Order: sequence, then C-alpha cells, then structure tokens
Amino acid sequence: MGFRALLAFPAPMNQDARTDIGSAGVSRPDTAVRPMIEARGVDKRFGSFQALRRVSLEVGRGEVVVVIGPSGSGKSTLLRCVNRLETADSGEIVVDGRKLSDPRLDVNELRREIGVVFQSFNLFPHMTVLQNLMLAPMRVRKLDRAAAEARARKLLDKVGIPEKSDARPTQLSGGQQQRVAIARALCMEPKIMLFDEPTSALDPEMIKEVLDVMMALAHDGMTMMVVSHEMGFAREVADRVVFMDQGEIVEVGTPAEFFQDPEQERTKRFLNTILRH
Amino acid sequence: MGLFGGLDANSQLFIQGYFTTITLTVAALGSALVIGTVAASARVWGGPVVQSFVRGYVEFFRNTPLLVQLLFYAVLLAPANLNITRDPMVAAIIGLSIYTGAYVTEVVRSGIISVDPRQIEAARSLGLSQLEALRFVVLPQAIRTVIPPLGNLSIALVKNTAIAGGIAATDLLKVAGIIESRTGGDFTPYIAILVAYWTLTLPLAWAVSRLERRLAFAR
Ligand SMILES: Nc1ncnc2c1ncn2[C@@H]1O[C@H](COP(=O)(O)OP(=O)(O)O)[C@@H](O)[C@H]1O
Ligand SMILES: [Mg+2]
Repeated sequence: MGFRALLAFPAPMNQDARTDIGSAGVSRPDTAVRPMIEARGVDKRFGSFQALRRVSLEVGRGEVVVVIGPSGSGKSTLLRCVNRLETADSGEIVVDGRKLSDPRLDVNELRREIGVVFQSFNLFPHMTVLQNLMLAPMRVRKLDRAAAEARARKLLDKVGIPEKSDARPTQLSGGQQQRVAIARALCMEPKIMLFDEPTSALDPEMIKEVLDVMMALAHDGMTMMVVSHEMGFAREVADRVVFMDQGEIVEVGTPAEFFQDPEQERTKRFLNTILRH
Repeated sequence: MGLFGGLDANSQLFIQGYFTTITLTVAALGSALVIGTVAASARVWGGPVVQSFVRGYVEFFRNTPLLVQLLFYAVLLAPANLNITRDPMVAAIIGLSIYTGAYVTEVVRSGIISVDPRQIEAARSLGLSQLEALRFVVLPQAIRTVIPPLGNLSIALVKNTAIAGGIAATDLLKVAGIIESRTGGDFTPYIAILVAYWTLTLPLAWAVSRLERRLAFAR
C-alpha cells in the first residue's frame, strides 16, 4: 500500500528489542514465541449481569483482530479487560507474558505498552494538541521536554496534521481529534493498540482519514484489536474477525471465511443486519 | 520607631489589626485549600470508610457555629493553669482552616465530579497513576469549575476572620472596639475597618472574575 512508505511506524521487532533491554532482569523467556494477548476462559459479571462468558482468544504478535457484534455483546468489556480498566472475574489474560491476575502486576507498567483509542476521543481539553501528546511520554516514560516534543511532532506528521500542534482539541474536527488520539497513544511506543469503535462518532466524510492511519499502522506490524463495524477495513486489514454475541465469542475466522461462509447461524443473522446498509 | 514610628498608638493598633486579619485569611485559606483538596479526593476515590469519614467531617463543621468552634480550640489549646489559650492566633488559624476546609471540600468535590470520568480512563490508559491523572488531568479541569465558588469562599473567609476577635485575637474588629473604648465612643474606627475590609474583599472579587475569564475554555 502507498501508506506504508509515507507512514513508517516503528516495527514490532524494534519494539521487542527495546523492551528486552528495558526489562533486563525480569525473565520472560517465552515472550518471543507466545502470542501477544492470550485470554483463556474469561468471565466478567456486572452485578448479576454476565458481560463476558468463558471468552478465549489469542492475538499473535503483529496480528490485527477485528471484533464485531451487536451492542451490549461485551466487545468493549473485552478490550477493557486487556488493559485492566476492568478486571476479569475468572479465567486468565496474559499480555506479552504478563499474567493480569498476578497481584504483583504493575498496571501502570502494563498500560504503557497498550495504546487505547476510544470512540469519544477523550483528548484533554485543557491542553494543546502537542501537550496532549507529550504528557505521558514525559511523566511516564520520563522523556525530557525536547525528546517528547520531537516524538510528538513526528507522530503528528504521520497522522497528517502537523499544523495543528498548538490547537486545542475543541478546535479540531472529529476526524482530526481521533487522529490526535491515535498519535497520543503511539507516543508511548506501545506494543499493542486497542481501538474501541474509533470511527463510530465520526461524520461519514471523516471516517476514511482515521481508517487510513489505522491501516498504515497495521501494515507496519502493530498488534491491534479493533472493535469496528467498518467491514471494508476488516476485509482489507484484519488477519482474523471475531464475532461476539451476549458475552460469548461465537465465531472466529479469516475475513474470507468469515464474510463468505460463516458457520454459525447467529453470525449469518448479524452479518445480514449490518451488510444490508 | 520603624515604618509606623510616626503614627499614634491608635493608628499603629489599627495597622496591627489589619495585618492580623490578612494573616488569618492567608494562612487559613492556604490550609483550607490543602485540606479541601485532599478531603475531596478521598471523598471521591477513597474506600467506603474514608468516604463516610469525610462526609462526617464536612457535615459536622458546616453545621456548627464558627464562634463555637473557635472557642473550642481556644479552650483545647489552653495551658493547664488558664482556661483560654495564650496563642489565640494559632487557635483562630486552626479553627478557620478546618471550618473553611469543609466548604472547600464540597466545592472541590463538585469540581472533580464535573470532569468526565472518561478523562481519567484516557489518562490511566496512557500509564499515568491515579495521582498523576488527578494532578495533570482532573484538577486542572476541575479548577475551572471551582474558581468562582472558591473566590466566594475566600471573601466569606475574610469576613469570618472578624469572629476571631471572640477568642482574643486582635483582628480588625477587635481593634476597632479597643480604639472606640479608648476614644470614648467615637464611631470612626468602625468606618475605618469597614473600608479596610473592602480593601481585601473588593480586590478579591475582582481577581476572581478576572481569573474566571482567563481560565475559561470552550469544552
Ligand atoms: N461498568 C458497568 N457496569 C454495569 N454494566 C456494565 C458496565 N460496563 C458494561 N456493562 C454492561 O455489559 C454489557 C456489555 O457491555 P459492552 O462491553 O460495553 O458491550 P459492547 O461494547 O459490545 O456494546 C452491556 O449490557 C453493558 O450494559
Ligand atoms: Mg462498546
């Protein structure tokens, strides 16, 4: 794709090398062969309501998994369990070799490695675009101002809005805000990116600019879990598509299998409802 | 002697009272802001025990007359052979801080809950700790909601310092009474302190409205 040359995001190989140096002493000998994300039999209840039922899923290094399913099926909850915004009730999630149920787990350290992009952008309105991007690298990664700013400007360039560095989020269009949110997450040089319906709050004419950035990211080897009903994106970029319903994973397949020949009745019904328009 | 050497005893006393009122206000406001910010954070994010403790604090001190509270500290801090403290300024500052802190707690709490909780999620997702999210994301936004009511609390605090005279601190109001009795029923000291209070409250009101405009941002 043409984006690839334009948008050279750091390749996952380099990221692994960096982290291995950074975490010298903590031995995780099997990280290179294990999937980036492993969920095994994950349950999550809110009161008496079961949001996730025995969810098992592996996401390999550099893999792009698109999650679809009706509203309320647990897609967001699954993503939120991966970066511990929610804690699974039972089952196990292992992210890059870290067991999320481990009581000694440092969640802040875990979250550094996982970028999250929300439907509602959630940019910090009291900061400029540049400050939004520099906050976490400076406070969490302890970069000095010059290094954080250089990194922020490079990423603004890559998401195509270098001229907006001094704007406030509220002065940007939705598409621009979401691209800033992606750049903000990438500033932490995460190993994984989670997207929760990143284009659902956007006007149709702005969806493409955000998907283009996501596609470039995928082509450059980022491990991605994307909740989205953009079927074009799923067909073109996803390695696998996951269909969830009522807290369960109903079906997993490559886009080709999944869209042409879904096995489950529930999947067929759902695809009919969303592909009709 | 010194700066006020040329003034008569009454004027010197008046100036002393003026600075006592300023000291009480500044010291109590500073500690009330610290108390209120910590208590409000505990009220919003603390466990159930901490939360009810803070609620108890706020309700107790907001629903007790300030003069009674100040007298309580004055007696509590009194040495064994006296029934009132030798250091009324300390008692007054403690009393005013804790009393005003209860109001500040409520104001800061409403400021914190006015910030979209998704802002905290975004900050935590970037790897910031809860405290860092509070400091860099929540409080700067809460400030904007909180400035006008905090300004009003500061103005109320200036006026409440007058109650400190009730526990023997020589604030402006107390001084006016002393001068009046010395001069034999002259009413002018009261007019003078009225003006003196205005020199504190009116600039405060002006500063608050300026700050409010400067901190305003489109959401
Ligand atoms: N914090 C929460 N408290 C109670 N119920 C929740 C909470 N978060 C999600 N739920 C419920 O869990 C179900 C799954 O939610 P979610 O994961 O957001 O679904 P999806 O993203 O697929 O639309 C929904 O019915 C939702 O109401
Ligand atoms: Mg959702």
